[in-house]
Formats: sequence, structure tokens, C-alpha cells
Amino acid sequence: MTGRVFRVLLVLVLIALLAKACIVRDVPQKITNNTKTHQTNLALIYPMQKNVNINGIDYLQSQAPVGTFGGTLVSSTIGEGPKTFNPFNCKDNTSAILSGVMYDGLFTTNPVTGEVAPKLAKGYTISPDGKVYTIYLRHGIKWSDGKPITADDVVFTWQNIIFGGLGDTSTRDSLVINGKLPTVRKYGDDVVVFVTPEPYAPFLRMLSTSIAPKHVFYKAVQKGSAYFDSFLSTNAKPKDFVVSGAFKLKEYVPAQRVVFERNPNYYEINTKNEKLPYLDKLVYLIVGDLNNEVLKFEAKELDVISLQGSKVARYKSLEPHSDFKLYNLGPDTGTMYISMNLNKRKNEKGKYYVEPVKQKWFNDLNFRRAVDYAIDRKNMVLNIANGIGVPLFTPESLNSIYLNKKLKPYDKDINNAKILLKKSGFKLDEKGRLFDKEGNRVEFNLYTNAGNTEREAIGVMVKQDLEDLGMKVNFKPIEFNSLVNKLVSTFDWDMVIMGLTGSPLEPNGGKNVWLSDGRLHMFNMRTPQEGKVGILPWEKELDMMFEKGALATKFEDRKIYYDKYQDIVYNQKPMIYIYSPIRIVAIRDKFKNIYPSSLGGITHNIEEIYIGHDKIHN
Amino acid sequence: MDTIKYIIKRILQTIPLLIIVSMISFFIIRLSPVDPLAELKLNPSVSPETVEKERARLGLDKPIIIQYGKWAFSFVTGDLGVTSTGEKVSQKLGERIPNTLLLTTIVILLTWLVGVPLGIIAAVRWKTNLDRILTVLTSIGMAIPSFFFAVLLLMFAVKTGWFPIGGLTSPNFADMSFGGKFWDITHHLILPVIVLFTISLAGLQRQMRANMLDVLDSDYVKFARAKGLSENVVIYKHALRNAVNPMITLLGFEFAGLLSGAALTEYVFQYPGLGRLILEAVLKSDINLVMASLMMGAIMLVAGNLIADILLIITDPRIRSKS
Amino acid sequence: MIRDLFKALWKDKFARVALVILGVIYLALFLADFIAPYTKDFSDRTMAYVPPSKVFTIDENGKFSKPYTYNYIREFDQNTLEIKYNTDRTKKHYIKFFSKGLPYKFLGLIPMNRHLFTTDTDGRIFLLGTDINGRDVFSRLLFGGRISMTIGFLALFVLFPIGLLYGGISGYLGGKTDMIMMRFAEGVMSIPSFYLLIILASILPSGMTSSQRFMLIVLILALIGWAGFARVVRGMVLSIKTEDYVQAAQAIGASKLRIIIKHILPQTTSFVIVAMTLSVPSYILSESGLSFLGLGIQQPDASWGNMLKEAQEFTNILYRPWLLTPGFLIFVSVLAFNLIGDTIRDVLDPKSKIK
Repeated sequence: MTGRVFRVLLVLVLIALLAKACIVRDVPQKITNNTKTHQTNLALIYPMQKNVNINGIDYLQSQAPVGTFGGTLVSSTIGEGPKTFNPFNCKDNTSAILSGVMYDGLFTTNPVTGEVAPKLAKGYTISPDGKVYTIYLRHGIKWSDGKPITADDVVFTWQNIIFGGLGDTSTRDSLVINGKLPTVRKYGDDVVVFVTPEPYAPFLRMLSTSIAPKHVFYKAVQKGSAYFDSFLSTNAKPKDFVVSGAFKLKEYVPAQRVVFERNPNYYEINTKNEKLPYLDKLVYLIVGDLNNEVLKFEAKELDVISLQGSKVARYKSLEPHSDFKLYNLGPDTGTMYISMNLNKRKNEKGKYYVEPVKQKWFNDLNFRRAVDYAIDRKNMVLNIANGIGVPLFTPESLNSIYLNKKLKPYDKDINNAKILLKKSGFKLDEKGRLFDKEGNRVEFNLYTNAGNTEREAIGVMVKQDLEDLGMKVNFKPIEFNSLVNKLVSTFDWDMVIMGLTGSPLEPNGGKNVWLSDGRLHMFNMRTPQEGKVGILPWEKELDMMFEKGALATKFEDRKIYYDKYQDIVYNQKPMIYIYSPIRIVAIRDKFKNIYPSSLGGITHNIEEIYIGHDKIHN
Repeated sequence: MDTIKYIIKRILQTIPLLIIVSMISFFIIRLSPVDPLAELKLNPSVSPETVEKERARLGLDKPIIIQYGKWAFSFVTGDLGVTSTGEKVSQKLGERIPNTLLLTTIVILLTWLVGVPLGIIAAVRWKTNLDRILTVLTSIGMAIPSFFFAVLLLMFAVKTGWFPIGGLTSPNFADMSFGGKFWDITHHLILPVIVLFTISLAGLQRQMRANMLDVLDSDYVKFARAKGLSENVVIYKHALRNAVNPMITLLGFEFAGLLSGAALTEYVFQYPGLGRLILEAVLKSDINLVMASLMMGAIMLVAGNLIADILLIITDPRIRSKS
Repeated sequence: MIRDLFKALWKDKFARVALVILGVIYLALFLADFIAPYTKDFSDRTMAYVPPSKVFTIDENGKFSKPYTYNYIREFDQNTLEIKYNTDRTKKHYIKFFSKGLPYKFLGLIPMNRHLFTTDTDGRIFLLGTDINGRDVFSRLLFGGRISMTIGFLALFVLFPIGLLYGGISGYLGGKTDMIMMRFAEGVMSIPSFYLLIILASILPSGMTSSQRFMLIVLILALIGWAGFARVVRGMVLSIKTEDYVQAAQAIGASKLRIIIKHILPQTTSFVIVAMTLSVPSYILSESGLSFLGLGIQQPDASWGNMLKEAQEFTNILYRPWLLTPGFLIFVSVLAFNLIGDTIRDVLDPKSKIK
């Protein structure tokens, strides 16, 4: 009996709830005017360090306010963690960053101007013919074990390790000019002279490569390349590291974290002549993905984080009553683009890499420009980057010092796209499907790497945009390694969405992409056997610009060549750039001496950062 | 003597099994269209010579049978090779396997401690409401996708601040006292253990319930009851022992299930275990690493079964005579 | 026998509820094209991540009205760097039932354009909000469910014949053949199944169409499960083959394959049914796990697993809870399958040890 009553009651309650759900009253919301002003954290002007000589020792002196010693900063690195701590073996970004913490180079980059700034060396001169680089080292500075840092270390590093072809050979490879390497020689303990076979502008920046302590590396170099590859790997003991950087390895816990402690012999001092760094420890947590990183920041396990998309809005709204501050570092150096396969050649089996019908479309400038005009960059920024991004039209990233500012952005223009297609004889049928002159249906595959939410979302939008033009696009996200294989070995792709990270300081780093025989010249890739065949007129022009740009030494001269290269890409559209995310970084506000910059990021002056105990907002 | 003979025979039986496993895994992996060198090739600063060097080092230029032979030979001699980035595979596995074992052992212990009593209760109260409710509750635990549950628990940890966000140890772990270290690890383990415990409890509870029902229905229990022994004595003294014995064979399979289940959980919690390692290795098509971790997974599984079998012989002499 | 089973299921409270829930889900998936107001790929890019539409039945003057909704307008606030969605109160969009909307092919065959409910062409009705591409989550749940909820059954249809035959042959022939066949099956079983799953999924050739990919994932799921099934079948065959009628068939000289298929395997039917209901949920979970890792069904196709991928993101869970609905649906349907399985087990054999 009670069971029955209960059941009836239950049904009645359900009906009532359902009715409640169906009857919703429309009450106009009062518009609350959110007049709260958000203070933006203006970046302070970074006081660059100076060279000083105290008791015969050439220190680098920080000009930033004097802080207090002690404390830890917890940062993060995304992925699987470092593969090695040997700065000459790094093939991946994480290893390079972590070993870069320990091993300084001769120079670094001024985080504000992008100019070359002193590090282990206090200065340099370049001969008028642009071939002879004279480097003046600091006198009296020491490795972490107390041995002096001298010209021997520099010559050893360059002569035996880098030019010797040990470890990762990329630096060496890019320095071979006309088959010859630069030479290096020491003059006394404090002067080193490099001579390049030809004037070669990018060389100066390469001098920021880490310098190795000869007394530690010497034996490893003697034992040859196989031994060197495993030297100072991730299972080396912390005490084996003799470093020149601000921090030294203390502990590495695989898949969890890397802990650094301060190097007591670091050569930078503050204005009170106390030895930096201020922090006792620097910790990098190894986090698997962006999502875990945010959770850790949220739970206060992390002190600094870079933010994307919707997270920015969250932290922006939390900021006024929180213990962190946000900094806008401007557009990222990464570029995202759509590319079409312009390859017209056949493989060894005599088969075309790209079907001949498609070749005609992709090699048609009108077609490429139509695709470009159809892309809805504005909505991509809004939807995918949550508004935290800028549409991109040039191969150089927006914070590049070589950016060609004359190339103007434009909006999606579907009519213009249709006119361009018509010019090349493309026709729409009554169902809105696009056919070429010969009556072939315009249909092709669009690839990107699966698992990257951002690129997959872009792919979905690009597909729709192109379908507005009547094209049939088969969007196929595939596994990253398979995609790369298609791009650089089998060449059997039509259209792709990819990203590349460029250097905002040195366009020559992109020569692999733009030179017609470059190894990443994906849009018209040639095998080494093919050599320089079927070079398009504008490809030839690009080759010339890169060749001249590398040999010119003055910034103004180089800018002309690199402006031209951007102009060619802008007009020929071998790669259609999409947008560049804006970097927003959050850092706990207990950390002082924060001078964020677009080029250097937020912790470029890690040795000057200290923990302030006051709670006053500046 | 017989026992030892049986155990030795049982151990020898695992060898062909492992050979089959290794062949299956190797050929599947090498069928993959994925280029293990792709990442190197895309790196603008790596020269083609380096890529070629790497290809030769990984033995990718030889036919597949020779590749397998080479691999098997070095595996037997204890050399697991290097990963695609040049680290020692044995070292990487050595870092991860203890963590995975730690996690799975705790979960197994916990599920046994909770699952067995719940199974007994359900069986004793067979077809009562308590029985039904227990079944439904464990079903609920089994129905939540483990990764989804893990994500929700992480959110919970963020919101409350009661638990650390993934990992196994805190940044200042090295400076802690022994007690502090112990607590730190426990603290980190709580959430992943909850996830794995929830999804694996149901199976054990059901199995125990079924075994118990089986035994309660058997002649000798009926006989014991007829003798007028109290219900408690019948259940806990006579029935229980016989019901738990066959459960031991389950240990091995439970272990296998956990290895699989742990992979997604480890991934979400960023737990430094074997599951996360293999996932990363698979995505990069790192042949040596995938092979070695697959083999380790299989060895752990086979060993789990082996231990279960041996335990069974020790607890139940009847099996020995049968074999 | 199957009818008895149904009766028994219907008698049990929990099983009945579970049956009804699954019935509703499968009916909805069957009629997905009709129920969903939008197609799987329809997207309105100015409407990414909009919250669920509010449907009003009493208007601003307090009077009853036909149900209507408002559109959202997206604004980017330069100050807070936030995207805001405000309701556009200038126009009411009435909800129309059984009216014309986007054209579709019912079950892929019959061209139709009527939907259960839609709104006017410039209005948008998103019952469960939208995803990153401005696609209707409600519609995608229905289309994604078709994949998630059938993939398990399809895998079973592939693996049962394999497992039955393999186990049957192995058990019937016995001796060396049996030994070799069983060792191989044990080899497959000795690889932790999820490890095997991700490895197989990762080697799927690139550039497949979505239906090819779907079929291959079905195959992979089947490849994981057949060995365990075959082993149990073999055990059953071992005892069945000593029965009189099998001996009789042997005596009249029937071929071995015929005996296995005609006389032995039919005896395992009830076991097959039980094993089927019991293993469907595990395949649903496997698919969702695989898609969650990005190895399963891929964009722009929908499955509950790959839709849940977006729910991985912290801000989505906090601010866009509607993206969690696929997880909820997986949970409900797997639970329903489990409850039914439990009851079937109890009905067929209260002490059954089948897991």
C-alpha cells in the first residue's frame, strides 16, 4: 500500500518537474554596465646589465632594483621532459631550454631591442670586410667548480665539439659556407678570433651557443661521437655538471620534474656587488599537456604559466583579487599556415606525386589567391583562439624585427575569391559545385595532424570556407609522424594545415623552408636526387633573397632582401598564413624584477628575479 | 617435490608464450606506416646525414625478419636498445615499472579488502535488497569511463585544494624526512587509486558472490548445516575458505585488467608509470621503447598468472595431484 | 528461450528501467536525423561555444505563448579579453514542430526535410549549446551516439564467428593443434589489452575515409576480444564433444567441420547471448577511451568519446558544462547494459561464473 502511494507521489513530482521545465518565463535581464576598469600591467623598461670591473674581475652587473636572496620559482615544461642535459646534443626544445639554463653562451639577445648583448663575453668587434669577429672575454670569472673560464674553453667548444661534428650538428651544418667552416683561434686568455670564409651575417647570433668547460668535456670528446651522444645524458649525476649559467642541476626525477640550484660562482652581481642569482632553486615541472599545466597553476603548484584562449578570460577576471599578474607579450613567434602542393614531378616509379588535374589548380595563382580570400581569419581568431590572436599574412612572425609592415591585412572576401576562380575558367554548376575548365570536379584532401584540437578546429573551418566556393574538401586529420612523412618523403598530399616556429631575430633560420632545395620546402619539395629542377621564377627570386640576405652584414641592407621575400610570399601564396596567437603570461606577484618582453618572454632575467615579501602592487 | 616440479614446468611453459607475444607485437609495430624518424626529419636544424645515421642505428634499413632477429637476440642478452631520442630503454623502464607496480599493488589489495567482504555479504543475503543495491552500486562504479572520472576528480582536487594535481612526488620531495616522503607519496596516490579501485571493484565483488553462492549450495555446506552448526560457523569457517581459493586464479587477470585500466588513468593524472610511457612511445612510433614496454607488460601479466597458480597449489593441494 | 529471458528481465525493477532507457536511447539514435534540428556538420561559426538556448513559454508580459527562443550575439570584450554571449532580444524565434528544416536522407536513403523541432531560418536552437566550431551539441550527440552505441555490437559480430570457430576447432580436434592454437590465443591475451588497442589504433593507415576508419576500429576491437572468448568456447566444446549425439554424428561419418558447426556450436547459444550483453559495455568504454586519446573516431565525425575530448579542458568544465553531456550518456548507457547483464546472468544461472 505504502509502495503504491509512494509511486504515485513520485510520478506526480516528476510531472511537476517536467511542467516546471517547460514553463519558463521570459524576464528581460537588466543590463549591468560593467564599468570596472581593468588595470593593465604596463611593462617597465628593462635596465640592461652593464659590464663592470671589480678587483680585476669582469663582472656583469644587474641594473635592476636590489632584491632579497632565497626562495624557489616553479615553472613547467610540456611534454615528456628532457632527453639530455648536454647542450650540444639537444634535438628537442625542452632539452635545449633546460641545458641552456646551465650553460651560458658568449652572447645573448637583448630582450627589448633584439640586439646582441654580452654574456660570457663582454664585447666584440667585426672587421670592416665582415669576416673577422674579435671576441673579448671576461677576465677572472669561474665555472661552478671554481676553475676559470678562459679562451681555451671557447676554442675547445667551437673547434672540437661544434666544428668537430659532435652531438647535434645543426650549428655546424648551417655554418658551412661554400664548403668551408669558419676558423677560431685564441689570443691570450681573454681574446678569441673567428674568421668566416665569407661575410656571413647570421654568424654573430650563433655565438650565443653554449660554451663547454674544457676540463670536463675533454675526455668525452676524446672518446668519440658515440660516447659523446650519451655524455651528460639524463642519467648523469648532478655532481658531474660544471656550469657557467645561473643555475646548476640539483635533481632530475623522470616524468616529474627537474630541479636546479643556484650557481655560487655566477658572474653576474647586483648593484650592491652581491652575487646573483637571488633564487635558491629553480624547478621545472614536467607536465604532459596544457590542461594539466593549468590545473597545476590553479592549485598553486606552479608559479608561472603561459595562457591561451579561454583561459585568458578566466585569469583576467580573477586577477584583481588574486596572487598573480598577467602580462601581454604580444604575438607569438609560431606561425600557422595552409599550404598547397605545387609539385609537378614524378616519383621513381614514374607516378606523379600530385594528380595532374590537381597540379593545374594548385599551380594556378588565381586558385591559391581564391583560397586565401575565402579563409575567415577573423572568426578563426574569435572561435579557436578565443579572441586572443591576430590574423597573419606574412611568413615572418608579427614580433619579428624583419617584419615587412607594408604588407596589409585584409578580410575574407568571398566575391573576390569567386571572381578570381572565374578568371581561371572555373565554373559552378546549378548545385553550386565547382568544376575546372576541363570539367573536373574540384575535390582534394586537406590534412593536419590529429590530436591537435586547435588545428583540427581550423581544418573544420577551412573545409567550410572552401565549400562556400563549391570545392569538395576531404578533411583528414592524421597522425603527426605520418603527416610529416607525407610532407618530406612521399609528397602525396594536396593541402595541409601546419605550423612552424620561426626566429623573430633571424629570418635566415627559415632558409630550409624557402630555399628551393631546402629540406622543409614542403610546398614544392625536391628530392636530393632531383636537385634543382623545375624551379618557378618566384622560387628563384626567393633563393636569391635568402642568399643575399645571409651575406649582407648591415641590418638595413638585410631588411631590404627579407622585405622582398615576404612580399613574394604574400603575393604568390605558396603558404597562406592564418593567425598568430597572442602570448599572455601569468606569474605570481610575489616575484619581483619582472620585465616581460616580446622577444625574451617573462623569465629571461631569471637571475635577477627575487621574491619580495611586501604585498604592495606596483 | 611434486610442487617444485610443477612450478618449474609452469615457468618453462611461459617461455613459448613470451616468444609468441614478442613476435605478434613486433610485426604489428613494424606494419605501421608511421615513420619513426619523422620528428627528426621535420626539425629544420637536423641534417640529412644525421637522419641517415639514425636510420642505420635503429636498423630500419634491413628486412623485417632480420630486424626481429636482431631485436630478439639483444633482448635475450638483456640489451633493450635505445629510444628514438637516444636514451637507454632499460633505464626508462626501470624508472617507470616500480611506479606502476606500486599503484596496481595498492589497488589490488584494496579491492580485495573491500570486494571480498562485499561479495560474501551479497551472497549470504542473496536476492535481498541489500544484494541488489550492492550490485547496482558496483555497476555504477564500473560504468564511469575511467578517464572522465579522473578528469572530474582532478577538478575536485583543484577546487578543494585537498589533493595534489597529478604526479607522484612534490617538488621538495628530496628534502623531506622519511615520514614526510611516505605521506607525500600516499597523498599523490589517493586520487588515481580511487579511480582504479572504483572501476575494478565490481568484477571482484561479483566473482566472490558467485563463488560463495556456489559453495553455499554444495553438499558439504548442506551437511554442515544439517549437523546443526551455527550459520556463522558454516559461512565463515567452511564456506569461505572454499570460495576464496578459486579467486586466487583471478589475481593474474585482475592484474592484467589493471595494467590496461591504469594507462588512461596514468595519462590523465600525469602519473609516471608504464601506461603513460607506452602511450607516448606509441604516438611517436618509438619501436624499441614500445616493444620493451609491451614485453614488460606481458611479462608482468604472465608473472602475475604464475604467482597466482603457485599460490593456488600451496593453498589447495588437490590441484597438485590433478596436474 | 529469448522470450523467457525478456519476461524475466521485465520482472526485475532495475532491469526494466535499464531496458526502457536503452530503448529510448536507441530509438532516438535511429531517428537521429529527424530528431536533431541540425545535421552532423552544420555549423554557425559566429556561435562557437554558445550556452544552451533558453526556451520560453511565458513571454515578458506574463502571458502564455508558443515556445520561443532568442539568438545569442557574440561580443569580444577588449578590456577583459573575454568573449561574451548576450541574448538578442530584438527578435523572438518561435519553435516549430514537424516543420521543414535542413534536408537530410533518413537512414541514408529517403530524402526528407522535416524535423521534430526547428526554428526560423535566421534563428538558432541549440538545446545543449555548441562546441568550438559552433556545431549543435545536441545534434552531434545523436549522430555520435550512432557510432558509440553500435561499435560494440559490430565488433561482437566480427569476433563471435572467429572466436566460435577458433575455439570450436581447437577444442574438437584436441592434441597438438589444440596446444598450438591455444598457445597463440594465450599469447594475444598476454598483451595487456589496452596497450594492444592503442598500438593497433596507431598503425591505422592515414588518409582513410571516415567509414573505413570506423570499420577498422571495429576490427581492432574485435581483434582484442576474440582470444578470451575462443578459450571459453573451447572449454565448453571439450565437454560437449563427449555427448552421445556428437559421437553419433561421428559414427555416421559427418565431416569434422560439419560436426563443429552443426552439432557442437549451437549448444553454446545461451553462453553467446550472455557473453554478448556482458561485453558490449566494455567495447563502448574502449571506443570512448580510444577516441579520447585521439586514436579513435576523428573530426569532423562525432562519437561520444571524441566529443568528450573537449571536456578535458579545464575552462570548458568550469564554464561550458554542456560539453560534458557525452560523458553522462556513456555512463548511463553502460550502466544500463551492466544492469541488464547482471539480471540475465542471474536468470540463466544464479551461480554462473561468467564474467
